[in-house]
Amino acid sequence: MKIKNLADLRRIKENIIKKAKTGKQLITVCGGTGCHASGCKKVIDTFKREIKKGEIENKVEIKVTGCHGFCERGPIVVIHPKGIFYQKVQPQDIKEILSETVLAGKIIDRLLYVDPLSGKRSTYEKDVQFYKGQHRIVFGKNGLIDPYKIEDYFSIGGYESAGKALCGMHPDKIIDEVKKSGLRGRGGAGFPTGFKWDFCRKAKGDTKYIICNADEGDPGAYMDRSLLEGNPHSILEGMIIGAYAIGANEGFVYIRDEYPIAVKTIKNAIEQARQYGLLGKNILGSHFDFDIKIVRGAGAFVCGEETALIASIEGKKGEPRQRPPFPAQKGLWNRPTNINNVETWANIPIIISKGATWYSSIGTENSKGTKIFSLVGKINNTGLVEVPMGITLKDMIYGIGGGIPEGKSFKAVQTGGPSGGCIPKDLLDTPVDYEKLKEVGSIMGSGGMVVMDEDTCMVDVAKYFLEFLQDESCGKCLSCREGIKRMAEIVTDITKGQGKEGDLELLEELANVVKDTSMCGLGQTAANPVLSTLKYFREEYETHIRDRKCPAGVCRDLYISPCQNACPAGMNVPGYISLIGEGRFKEALELALDTNPFPSVCGRICDHQCQSKCRRNQIDESVAIRSLKRFIGDYEENNIEYPEIKVSMGEMPFKVAVIGAGPAGLSCAYFLARLGYKPTVFEKLPVAGGMMAVAIPEYRLPNRILQREINNIKKLGVDIKLNTQVGRDITISQLWSQGYEAFFVAVGMYGDRHLGIPGENLENVFQAVDLLADISLDKPMASPVGKKAVVIGGGNSAIDAARTILRMGAKDVTILYRRTRREMPAYEEEIKAAEREGVKLQYLTAPEKIFGEKGKVKSIECIKMEPGEFDKNGRQKPIPIKNSNFYLDVDIIIPAIGEFSDVTELFTGLDVETKPDGTVSCDKNGVTSIPGVFSGGDVVSGPATVINAIASGERAAVNIDQYLTKDRTRTYSWREHKKVDTFFDPEAEPVKYKMQKPSALSSDKRKGNFDEVELCYSKSMAMKEAKRCLRCDLEIELQEKMEQEKKAKEVPI
Amino acid sequence: MINLTIDGLDVQVEEGSSILDVAQFYGIPIPTLCHHDGLTDYGACRLCIVEIGKGANAKLVSSCTYPAEEGLSVRTNSKRVVESRKMLVELLLAMCPSSKTIQDLAAAMEVRQVRFKVEHNDCILCGLCVRMCAEQMDAKAIGFVNRGKDRKITTPFDIKSDVCRTCGACMYICPACELRCQGPDPPGDVCGACANIEPVCLEDEDDKMCFLETCGWCYKELGRKKIKEKKGK
Repeated sequence: MKIKNLADLRRIKENIIKKAKTGKQLITVCGGTGCHASGCKKVIDTFKREIKKGEIENKVEIKVTGCHGFCERGPIVVIHPKGIFYQKVQPQDIKEILSETVLAGKIIDRLLYVDPLSGKRSTYEKDVQFYKGQHRIVFGKNGLIDPYKIEDYFSIGGYESAGKALCGMHPDKIIDEVKKSGLRGRGGAGFPTGFKWDFCRKAKGDTKYIICNADEGDPGAYMDRSLLEGNPHSILEGMIIGAYAIGANEGFVYIRDEYPIAVKTIKNAIEQARQYGLLGKNILGSHFDFDIKIVRGAGAFVCGEETALIASIEGKKGEPRQRPPFPAQKGLWNRPTNINNVETWANIPIIISKGATWYSSIGTENSKGTKIFSLVGKINNTGLVEVPMGITLKDMIYGIGGGIPEGKSFKAVQTGGPSGGCIPKDLLDTPVDYEKLKEVGSIMGSGGMVVMDEDTCMVDVAKYFLEFLQDESCGKCLSCREGIKRMAEIVTDITKGQGKEGDLELLEELANVVKDTSMCGLGQTAANPVLSTLKYFREEYETHIRDRKCPAGVCRDLYISPCQNACPAGMNVPGYISLIGEGRFKEALELALDTNPFPSVCGRICDHQCQSKCRRNQIDESVAIRSLKRFIGDYEENNIEYPEIKVSMGEMPFKVAVIGAGPAGLSCAYFLARLGYKPTVFEKLPVAGGMMAVAIPEYRLPNRILQREINNIKKLGVDIKLNTQVGRDITISQLWSQGYEAFFVAVGMYGDRHLGIPGENLENVFQAVDLLADISLDKPMASPVGKKAVVIGGGNSAIDAARTILRMGAKDVTILYRRTRREMPAYEEEIKAAEREGVKLQYLTAPEKIFGEKGKVKSIECIKMEPGEFDKNGRQKPIPIKNSNFYLDVDIIIPAIGEFSDVTELFTGLDVETKPDGTVSCDKNGVTSIPGVFSGGDVVSGPATVINAIASGERAAVNIDQYLTKDRTRTYSWREHKKVDTFFDPEAEPVKYKMQKPSALSSDKRKGNFDEVELCYSKSMAMKEAKRCLRCDLEIELQEKMEQEKKAKEVPI
Repeated sequence: MINLTIDGLDVQVEEGSSILDVAQFYGIPIPTLCHHDGLTDYGACRLCIVEIGKGANAKLVSSCTYPAEEGLSVRTNSKRVVESRKMLVELLLAMCPSSKTIQDLAAAMEVRQVRFKVEHNDCILCGLCVRMCAEQMDAKAIGFVNRGKDRKITTPFDIKSDVCRTCGACMYICPACELRCQGPDPPGDVCGACANIEPVCLEDEDDKMCFLETCGWCYKELGRKKIKEKKGK
C-alpha cells in the first residue's frame, strides 16, 4: 500500500495507535548488540514460549527493540505501561516475571538496578541514575519500537517530518532551519550541516548525490551501529529530507559489513519504505523522487574519511584525495555530493518537527543539540549515553557512568577514537563540546569515550592506538604511513625498556610533522594520542625511560612481578614469600630487610598496594602478603636469630644529619649506615619512630615491635639523639659548622588542622594526633571514662582516635563525617573493626558550633549534608541541608580532619623553598633548593603511608651518597634483584583456595585494653598461604627457558 | 586568470594549475620526489609541502595537488615548511638510505643524520612506477596493494602479469632501485658529496676526469688515507 500524501500517513498512524490500545501490558526486551552478547536471544525465546504456555496472549505482548543504551546491565527488560525496569534478566527469571510482575503486579527486587553510588534500588526506568542525567531525543526512541516494523515507527510520528518538509517547505527553508538549529556534523569534524547542504545545493550540476556515512570504525564506539540497528527509519527519514533540500535523487548508505544486524535492519527498512511509497517516485505526492542504495564497506577505517569513502563507492581503492575540490563541488563520479554521518541524519527529522529554536536551546553557544557517546572502559555503567552538549566530563563519568569499578581511581579519559586524545583528571571540568575538547588536545570524534583507571599505562595506551593507526592508515602519504610507524617504533622501544634520552623530543617533533603534513583527517589527527599523553603524562614516559619502570605495571618487560612493581620500596615479594613457603624463615627475613628496615611494622599497618595488584586475584583472592611479612618478623622474635645485615666494609668519612626519627628518617639512616656512614638522627620527641610511635595506637602496632626494629637500625651504628628539636635546640647552620655535610629533613606533619568553628578552644576538645601522642607517651589527660565522645573526620586517625578513646573507657563514641561511607579515606578494614567494637558512624554530618558550660564542652550543633556536585576525584561535594540542624550532648570532642607541617622554625636562616601548604618542595629524589639539604616523607608528600616514607628515605640515602661521593655511577646492593633458589614447578596448575585470614581478637576481649587486635599466622598456616603465590617473577625467565628448550628440540631440516 | 601571492610575490596564473606549477613557472624552487612532469600528481611524498592561509588557520598542503585559488597566500620556505621537510627526508632516508636521489635531497636540506632505525627497503611507495605504467605505458600492470604499514606495489595477486611488457619504465623512473650510492660513510649518514657538486678530488687533482660510475668512490679512498695520516701523526 502506497502512502499518497500527508493525510494518508496520519490516518495510518491513527489506525495503528487505535489497534495498539488493547489494554495489554507490553514487555520490551532489548535486542541490541550488547544485549545479544549477554544472551537476550534466549530470554526472548523463553518469553514467547512461556506466554504461549500460560495462555496469557490476551494480557501481554512482547516486543524486541533496538539498543536501550545500558549495555552493561543487559539483557534489559522493560514492562510498559508502568516502565518497570529489570536488568541482567536470565531465562530462568522469565516465569517469575510473568507470574509476579505481569499478572500480580509485584516487583521482583533482585532484578532491579542498584545504584553503585547510593546503593538504592530503582524500580522504574525513568528513575535509573544512568538515564536520569541523559537527554535522549535521538536515541530514546530505540526502546519504543521494533526496528523491523515500519508501523512502529509510524506510531511514534515517523515520517511526519518528511511529510512536513516535502509537502510544505521550500528546500531553502529547510536548509535555513538546519542552519538555524546549529547542528554540526556528528562524525567528528563538526562542520555545520546546514552550510554543507547549502554548498551542495548551490553547486553546479543536475545530478547530485547524498551519502550516509555508516562506516563506524573507532575502537570502543558503537552508537551509529545501535541507531542503525534500533531505529533505521529515522536515518532514512533524515536522508529523504536532506535529499529534497539539496536536490539529490539518489542516496547511498555506506555501511561496514562487520555490522551484519545493521545491514539487515537498514535493508529491511529501505524495502518497507519503498512499499509504502516513502522511497521511489513522487514521494507523498510531492513530485520528488528519491531512492537509497546500500554499499557495504570492507572495514577499512580510512573509508570513514569522505573522499576515501567516495573512492570506495566508485569501486576504487579506498584512499583519500586532496580537498579542494570538496565533495560538495566534485564528489561521487565527479558530481556534487553531500555526506553526513548516521547520527547527523537521525537528528534532521527532530529539527524539522520540533523546530530550530527548540533544538538550538539545547547545548552550548557553538555546539547545539545532543550527542551520543559510547561510555566504555573502566566504568561502572558501560553503555551508550545521549547528553546535551556542554555537560562536563566529570558529570558523565561519575554521574551517568557511576564512577570507576572496584573503588579504583580515575586516570584519564580518551575521547574521539584513535585520533582523539587522553584527558587527565585535572581537566575533568571540561565541558563536552567541539571547541573545548579541541582546546585540551582531544576531539569529539564520533563519540567514543574510553575511561581508564589507575591500572592503565599511558605509554601502552599510546602504543595501542599507534599500532591500530599504522594498520589502518591508507599508506598514501609518507608522513602518515612512515611517521606513525616510526612513532610506534619509538613508543614500543620505550615500553620494552629500550627508550633513550632524546626519544621524547624526537617523538614530539615527529608527531607534530605527521599532524602538519598529512593530507587527510586520519593523518592529521593520528598524532593526538601521542601528543596528548606526552602533554599530560610526560612523567610516566620519563619513568619508563630513566627508571625503566612502568608505574601501572602494564609493560611486562619493565617489571619482575606486579607486587614488587607496586611496592614503593620495591620489596622482593615473591622472593621472601617463596622462602616462607619452604620454611626458610631466616632467609626470608633477610631478603625482606634488604629493602625495608621495618618488615614487622609494615606487616601490620602497611596499605599493601602489592596485594591489590596480585595476579592470584584473578583466580580466587590475592596472597596475604602483608600478613606473611608480619609472620616472619614475629617468628624471628622468638625462634630464629636476627639475620646479619650486610654493611659496606669501608667507612665513609662524611657526617650526615637526619632530622626526624620517623619511618623516612630512620630508613634513610638505615641505608646510609649500610653504605658505611655513621648518621646522627635528631628527634624532638622522647621516643623514636615518629608517627609510628605516637599516632598509631598500641592495638594496631605494639611499641615493643617498633622499638625492636629501631634497635636493629641502631646496631648498624646509627646514633639517635632524642629530645633534640633542630631549629630550637640546635640549628642546621650550627650543625653545618660542626662538620655535618648533608642533611635529610623528614620531620613529618605534626600540626593539627583546625575545624574553624566557634567553641573549638573549649576544654575537652582534643586534637586527634595530640591525643594519641599523649596516650602513647603516658601523659596525663582528662579521663574519658563513662563519657560521650564525638570524633570529627573520616581518615585513619579519626578511626584510631575513636577506637582508642573507646578502649580508655568512653561510654559512647560517635564519628561524624561530612561525606558518605564510600568516600571515607580510612582503610575499609579499620572502619569495619571500629563498627564491630561499637563505634557509631554518622555520615553526611558536619559540626557547626560547639557549646560549652563553665569552659567545658557541653554539646555540639551539627548539620545534615547531602551529596552534591562531583569533584575531579569522583567525590560528591557535601552540601548542607537547610534547617536540618540538631544537637548532640558530648563531653569530649576530637577533631581529626588532617595535619599540616610548619618548617619555618627548622629552616631559620636557610632559604629552602616550600609550597603554599607548608610542605617542602623538592624533586622525587629528595633534592631541595639548597645543595646538601634533602627532604622526604610526609613533610614533602603530605600525609602518606609508612611504606612511601621508607621508599623516600631510601631514595634520599642514595642521593645523599651520590652527592657526597660526587659519583653518580655508584651501584647499590639492595637495588639489584636477588634471585632465590626456591623450587617452583611451572607445569603445576594452581589449586583454588582462598586467602587465609589471620584470626583476630574477639571484640569483647578488646575492651579496656590495648592488646593487639589482629593475630599472627601459625607456622603451618603461613607456609600454606605462601604456597599460593603464583611466582610471576619467574614468568619471563621460564618463558625464555621454554623457548630455548623448544629450539633445542627442533630438528634442523 | 587567478591572482595569488607566492612568497610575497603577486602572480597571475591560469585556472587549473597547481601551486607547484605556479612556483615552477616563476622559478621558485620546491623540492619534489613523487612529482614527474609527464604524470598526474599524487601527493604521496609530501616533500613539496607549502604553507597556506594566515595565523591560526595556516596549514601545510602538498603543492603538487593543491589547486591555485584566488587570493591564496603561499609560503614555500617558512620555518614550519623547512622543518617538516627535513623530518620527511629523514623518514625517507631511514627507509632507503642509499638511494642517491634521497641522499641528494637530504644533502640539499642539510639533513646530516638519521635518528630512526635504518631499514634497507627497495621501495619508498612514491607511486611513480604505478602512474608510469598506467599513464605512459598504458599497461596498468602494477598497483598498490594493502594499506598502512603493509602497503606495497605489486602485480595483481603477486603473480606475473599478462599485461606487463617488461618495458622497464617502472625501473627507469624509480628513485629507490636506481644505482645505489655506495658512498663513503656508514648508512644513516649523509655525506652530501655529490649534491655539493664540487667533487673533493678536484682539491687534490688539477683537471682530473672522473670515470667512476658513482661519485664518492675516490673520496672514500681519500678519506681512509686521511684518517690513516692523522693516526700516523
